[in-house]
Amino acid sequence: MLLAVPLALAACAERPSPSAAAVRRNTMVIVTTGDADVLLPPVTSVTTGINVSDLIFCRLAELKLGLNTVDDSGYRPVLARSWDHPDSLTIVFHLDPRARWQDGAPVTAADVAYTFRVYTDTAVNSPLAPFLGQIASVTARDSLTAVFRFRRWYPDQLYDATYQMRILPRHLLDTIPDARLATSAFARAPVGGGDGPYRFVSWEPGAQITLAADTSWFLGRPGIARLIWRVTPELTTAVSQLLAGEADAMELIPSRAQLERAQASTRVRLVPYPSPFYAAVVFNLRRPLFQSRDLRRALAMAVDRTVVVRSVFGPWADVAVGATSPMQWIWSDSLRQLPYDPAAAGRALDALGWRRAAPGGTRRKNGTPLAFTLLVPTSSPPRQQAAVIMQAELRRIGVAMRIEPLEFTVMDGRSQAGDFDAVFVSRTIDPSPSSLLQFWSAGAASNVGGYDDPAFQALTAAAARARTRAAAAPLWRQALERLNTDAAAIFLFSPRNEAAIAGRFRDVTIRPDSWIATLPSWRVAPPGGSPGALATGGARAAAGR
Amino acid sequence: MSPWRRAARRFARNRGAMAGAVIVAALVVVALVGPLLTPDPLAQPDPVRLQDRPPSAAHWLGTDPFSRDVLSRTVNAARVSLGVGLGAALLAMTLGAGVGLAAGLAGPRTDQLLMRGVDVAMAMPRIFFLLAVFAVWRGAPAAAVLVLIAATGWFQTSRIVRAVVLSLRESDFVAAARALGERGPGIARRHLLPHLAAPLIVSASLDVGNIILLEAGLSYLGLGVRPPAPTWGNMIMDGKDVLLSAPWIALAPGIALVLTVVAFNLAGDGLRDALDPRAAA
Amino acid sequence: MLRFLARRLLFAAVSVAAVVLFTFLLVHLAPGEPMLGSAEGARVAPAVLARQRALFGLDRPLPEQLARYAANLLHGRLGQSFVLHRPVADVIGAALGPTLLLGGVALLVSLLVGVAVGAAQAARPRSATDTLLGVGTLVLYSVPVFWLGLMLLLVFGQALHWLPVAGMTDPAIHDALSPLGRVVDVARHLVLPAASLALVQAAAFARFQRSTLLESLGGEFIRAARAKGLPERWVLLRHALRGALAPTLTLAGLSVPYFLAGSVLVESIFGWPGLGRVTYDAIFARDYNVIVGTALVAGVLVALGNLLADLAVAAADPRVRLDR
Repeated sequence: MLLAVPLALAACAERPSPSAAAVRRNTMVIVTTGDADVLLPPVTSVTTGINVSDLIFCRLAELKLGLNTVDDSGYRPVLARSWDHPDSLTIVFHLDPRARWQDGAPVTAADVAYTFRVYTDTAVNSPLAPFLGQIASVTARDSLTAVFRFRRWYPDQLYDATYQMRILPRHLLDTIPDARLATSAFARAPVGGGDGPYRFVSWEPGAQITLAADTSWFLGRPGIARLIWRVTPELTTAVSQLLAGEADAMELIPSRAQLERAQASTRVRLVPYPSPFYAAVVFNLRRPLFQSRDLRRALAMAVDRTVVVRSVFGPWADVAVGATSPMQWIWSDSLRQLPYDPAAAGRALDALGWRRAAPGGTRRKNGTPLAFTLLVPTSSPPRQQAAVIMQAELRRIGVAMRIEPLEFTVMDGRSQAGDFDAVFVSRTIDPSPSSLLQFWSAGAASNVGGYDDPAFQALTAAAARARTRAAAAPLWRQALERLNTDAAAIFLFSPRNEAAIAGRFRDVTIRPDSWIATLPSWRVAPPGGSPGALATGGARAAAGR
Repeated sequence: MSPWRRAARRFARNRGAMAGAVIVAALVVVALVGPLLTPDPLAQPDPVRLQDRPPSAAHWLGTDPFSRDVLSRTVNAARVSLGVGLGAALLAMTLGAGVGLAAGLAGPRTDQLLMRGVDVAMAMPRIFFLLAVFAVWRGAPAAAVLVLIAATGWFQTSRIVRAVVLSLRESDFVAAARALGERGPGIARRHLLPHLAAPLIVSASLDVGNIILLEAGLSYLGLGVRPPAPTWGNMIMDGKDVLLSAPWIALAPGIALVLTVVAFNLAGDGLRDALDPRAAA
Repeated sequence: MLRFLARRLLFAAVSVAAVVLFTFLLVHLAPGEPMLGSAEGARVAPAVLARQRALFGLDRPLPEQLARYAANLLHGRLGQSFVLHRPVADVIGAALGPTLLLGGVALLVSLLVGVAVGAAQAARPRSATDTLLGVGTLVLYSVPVFWLGLMLLLVFGQALHWLPVAGMTDPAIHDALSPLGRVVDVARHLVLPAASLALVQAAAFARFQRSTLLESLGGEFIRAARAKGLPERWVLLRHALRGALAPTLTLAGLSVPYFLAGSVLVESIFGWPGLGRVTYDAIFARDYNVIVGTALVAGVLVALGNLLADLAVAAADPRVRLDR
């Protein structure tokens, strides 16, 4: 008898009315493993919060799919209809007079000036504030003209002016002290306060966030009527929801086993797009052992990165060509890299005096074995797996690498303090190639290995001054090649992101830095189309170069 | 015939209890000897070609995503699970007996203090405490897991012991011993412990299963014993992603876990029935 | 009766206070930094960190922080979440309902099933039914709850499609449903997580019910009823079950910690937006105020369970003197 209730509930499986079926069809349920923190762009710091608020609030201009951050042609207008550069330190944005807040008020230059003040106010504590350091001021010349003044000239000015900030409604927020913005009611429920393609509807904490298309959006009505973020902490369960048809999309599936489950499904298709990550084994160049460039090169040449990548990720990642990912426009598969050549590596070590007493043994020099320790975070199974394969390959040329798995924060602490031989890091990079400086220029906070090479410094400095992409690209690439041939690190892999999207959505394009950037132009296929045809048609990922 | 011998005879006649005892004995042997006979549970002999391989002659229970031998890991994890389960149950029993005896034999003020303390401790949601501690202390050694589980699991035992002590305290033989000048510890050792042995053995043996399940739950959440070392809980976590394509990875530790807990519960039930004839059906 | 209740309530308050104090000290004394970002390579500027710590008073000496927390607590304020930028009371308030629903239904189902199975076994001890149910309950009792949950999810949710895989409502159409439709929607989502929690506990209740029933069936009272020639079934139902129910109810009251522990695992497997998940997330994010807040609520729930257990004993057995 007690079994009857669940069985009856199971039997109640949906027999949807036509209207419910239409609602379901025009809704995209996005499954995510974490809830949002807040929906206010300057303070949100988790993926779901960023994605949701990105669809409510707009930028002045958006990068196109190619992610060309240098040239004006790489951007398309959004809130700003156009912009010009009266001198090398000024950009003037002309706002689109059609742009409206969702409560009807027009979007004005005063909103832009207010937004800059909020992002840079220390009381707000925005994690994006450091990226706005080159902007001296933002003022409103008239209601539709915003003027940005820069401290110095550099090619990425337009990028910094548009990419970091999403414009906020001054008329709704300026009564709230800046320090309280993050905890304000608006930050949790920005009703009527957006200027983007979607309106905020509701947020049930820990469960779901609902947005509805703004049918009167000035750049055209979005193709999908409703978006729902569904929070499911367990990855296995999240993928089960996709397979069972309870969810329609997922930003990326981070595990090979889960990818294989999704690939076998007919309900969703996988849309690949370049990821903003690369993983590398960084040598601590302050240690005497790794001060020898030839030794580092020998270690790098002893590792067959293709074998590592294929056995850890199967087809779901690429060998890293250097300190970049296919997302950046400086990426190129013809970058010079050290070849896999264990024989040459062995000869180089012999020449350095690291010799093997017996075949199969560890090399020694003056009695010291050629050994070092690699820190690996326990939070990353792929890196742990890759470390073991590297260990086996290095052992083959007589190098003893010890693996030390550490909890992430502990590993991070030790790598910041320089207390390591080698560390297996994963780096998240921006569309802008200047992220190269953040991790590899001398003295930079995230340059954990202490790489300090004058030639690299000169190349990146010249690249950062180049006025056009055409002039900058070869310089950036030479800098990447310098890193490769110096073997400051072994650049191992760049995982490929795979979004899972239900078959009925068409015109799916993905901009690699933000998978929902082009979502307003996605469409729902009319009912009755054959799912098989949909599965192959429509999907196109931005190549990102 | 002594009561102990009678209990042993009753236990031997109970088929379920004997089955449980035999399985427990076998598990202990496996945990002690198995790791000597199987390959290194951390070894990843061929991370390139040996991922998620099904059972074969070389790897009887297949390999996991890291090319490690599932049989070897299951057997080695038995050491952790049985060690933590038995160790924590014994330690908790000792702690509980100590506090219960102290409360029962000491004056009313100490008794009140101890028992109110135990009441408060029992209101503490144990799992929250353990989660908080292990979230902070990542990669705690198995010994720490054992001690913390025991430290949060002796409260019920102390109550049982105190109740027995209170009922015996006024009995003739204790009064006689007192009159003869024996002090608390001596009385406890000579006159009370024999009466406490039965309830203590029963509650500890039934506790082992629960502790093994608790440890597995913590490991499943990635807490407790440090990951590369195998535990049944973290093996299930490793295998759950490939449950449909490579079921052996999670099934082997899952079955081992259930079998172990069933065996301890069977044996515990049997002990209870044998030592406490009133409860026997 | 009133004096008994007052004493128990006072004791419950003291034990909750002890739980809060203990948790507070534990999280604040533990090593680790609550305000650091977890993203690799993303460095939080020391100045930003310092401002953040000052904002939450984390730069003050521990006794002062404790005093401030206690004062706030007495005014009913649980503080602000570091991570979620909102009051802890809101965070917990939103999660409490789903957890009470899940735990309450699981408790009720496990009690009903447990008592029924235990009674069926005790009616014919050592029969085939008894043995079969005994083996079944023993195995269920020995299964880890997360394992059971995963299996139910894969079989009934993903493979058979009988029931939804995760969450508490249908995301797309719940709001468009009729009131009855919404109830059915939540009920369908409830089945698998509640079953995972309830089956294991039902086995525990059944094992306990069987043995207490058998014990009371052996009692004098029952022998008298039998001697009067009452039918066996009647004896079992009227007399024995009544006597055995109080201990089972006590056990139910004392099982609250089990349901809380289970909810941490089950809620995360089934994406149920409840307290267990809030706790789990808060512990990993070192969100101090939320951790202490959830410990407070858990302590209250456990204390309530204990209180109910006491009352059940008192109500069922007049021999228990209420003013003890």
